[in-house]
Amino acid sequence: MASNKNTKNLAQSAKKLRILLIDENTHRAEIVTSALGNSRYEISHLASPSGTLLRQVDQLQPDIIVIDIESPSRDILESLHTIKNIDPKPVVMFSSEEDTDTINQSIESGVSAYVVGDLEPHRVKPILDAAVARFREFQKLKTELSDTKQQLNSRKNIDQAKRILMKNRNISEDQAFHTMRKTAMDTGQKLDDVAKTIISMFNSL
Amino acid sequence: MMKLEKTQLTLGFSPLTDCAPFVVAKNLGYFEHWGLDVTLQKQNSWATLRDKLHAGVLDAAQMLAPMPIASTLGLGVAPIHVVTPMVLSQNGNGITLSEALVQELLSVNKIFQLEFPLDAKLLKNVIDYRIQHNKSKLSFATVFPYSCHHYQLKDWLLSGGITFDDVNISVVPPINMVDTMLSGDIDGFCVGGPWNAKAVRGSFGATVVTSSDIWQDCPEKVLGFLSSFVETNPNTVLAVCAALKQACIWLDSVPNRFETAVMMSQQGFLGEPLEVITPSLLGSCLTQAKLSPRSVPSYNQFSTTVDGNDVNNPDVEYGQWLLQKIQSSGQTPDGIETNGCIERIYRSDIYAQIAPLLEKLD
Repeated sequence: MASNKNTKNLAQSAKKLRILLIDENTHRAEIVTSALGNSRYEISHLASPSGTLLRQVDQLQPDIIVIDIESPSRDILESLHTIKNIDPKPVVMFSSEEDTDTINQSIESGVSAYVVGDLEPHRVKPILDAAVARFREFQKLKTELSDTKQQLNSRKNIDQAKRILMKNRNISEDQAFHTMRKTAMDTGQKLDDVAKTIISMFNSL
Repeated sequence: MMKLEKTQLTLGFSPLTDCAPFVVAKNLGYFEHWGLDVTLQKQNSWATLRDKLHAGVLDAAQMLAPMPIASTLGLGVAPIHVVTPMVLSQNGNGITLSEALVQELLSVNKIFQLEFPLDAKLLKNVIDYRIQHNKSKLSFATVFPYSCHHYQLKDWLLSGGITFDDVNISVVPPINMVDTMLSGDIDGFCVGGPWNAKAVRGSFGATVVTSSDIWQDCPEKVLGFLSSFVETNPNTVLAVCAALKQACIWLDSVPNRFETAVMMSQQGFLGEPLEVITPSLLGSCLTQAKLSPRSVPSYNQFSTTVDGNDVNNPDVEYGQWLLQKIQSSGQTPDGIETNGCIERIYRSDIYAQIAPLLEKLD
């Protein structure tokens, strides 16, 4: 499953970026679509999303969702993460009002969404370029954070497994560590996985 | 008259039956009376309404009762301290099942007619039947992750032994609810007025239970301000509350409620006709096409409950109850500090200052 996903991602990187545009204004949607004619973006337009939006997101797997901030459907996107546990998709919201900067400041931190001004044809491409760059940066930070967490967890597991071995076999910390490392090398597993096995075996005794 | 720090205000509201206090305060000149020049701004999305309030684009907003808590705790958004000095309405939601699901419910349970409020155990039988026959899970929609609708649907299903894991749950905006059910994407929903009545009028489904059957008299919509706004504009906040309280009192009378329904339909607040807006305001729950409506006197409550209690006091106990619902739905991340937070959000102390102001009027 995981490797499948990786190949898919690799293939995608060479491909166009998929944009799902949610806009009840069909005329504006046409202008936006034609403004992106010869670019790295491939756009799908949804005029009245209501019930079909979740299905669309699922089928299309868009790289970015672009939506009118006044659209009722924004609440559906908002729920993707909280209720459905779907990884949040980058969302660009556009607004014809003048207060976009202030709104932006308040939603900025931690949410992978942001507000731009009105979708004028000549601005569409630079807006999406900026959005892509920004979301990638955000994603990178998130990955780094989860890597750090992962490392901390794995250190905790190894320490716990060492203590179990030391107590049960009456050996030193060094010996316990060597035993685990040898098992890992012999079986081609990660040290963290060996530690987890020891912990779960001990727990089930 | 108090000296107001700010007189020009923009208030956000959601186009639902229980936006009535805003409609009344505007139409009857209550805001003007308190020296306020109020622009009402219709908001189609709860998330956008929230973001605009957080950004100060809206000075105040009609919020779902759990929303000030979610904002302050930073659930689904960057945390910012939001307070509510006043509850605007109680109850008002209903759960409607699609006509197809109603038929399935009748046949699985071998009954000829539904009884209201519906026992959720009958729905559990449908779910068990579907598992035995390898049929798909039922799908239900609510309006926002942090809404009474969400927790009321959860509690009603639980009363029949059904958990959220047994069904698919999604969010659909109220305005799209009926169409989404018609398209077959959902089998039922929990929503506020006028959308339950709309589904029954169109013979698309049956409203089997109302929120007051599930939780008796709980705040549904509240008035939300940024805490920073309350600190710098205390008198303006009192003026807004006083005008809305007057509107809520006016809404206690049934004849006035009919007039409100007329205002809402004529002025296009909800985009729906009178026959869809009026029933819940008059304490009538449309149940199913060809069946009599059910009398639910507490369907929409604005100022005084049927039992004579004050609707508008943002009692801390309500806030605690809602926080519990948020927590038991697994919506608070580990390690989040909630101790003492409700006292800072549900502000009875501000509400207590309104009564003396209104007394001076008489």
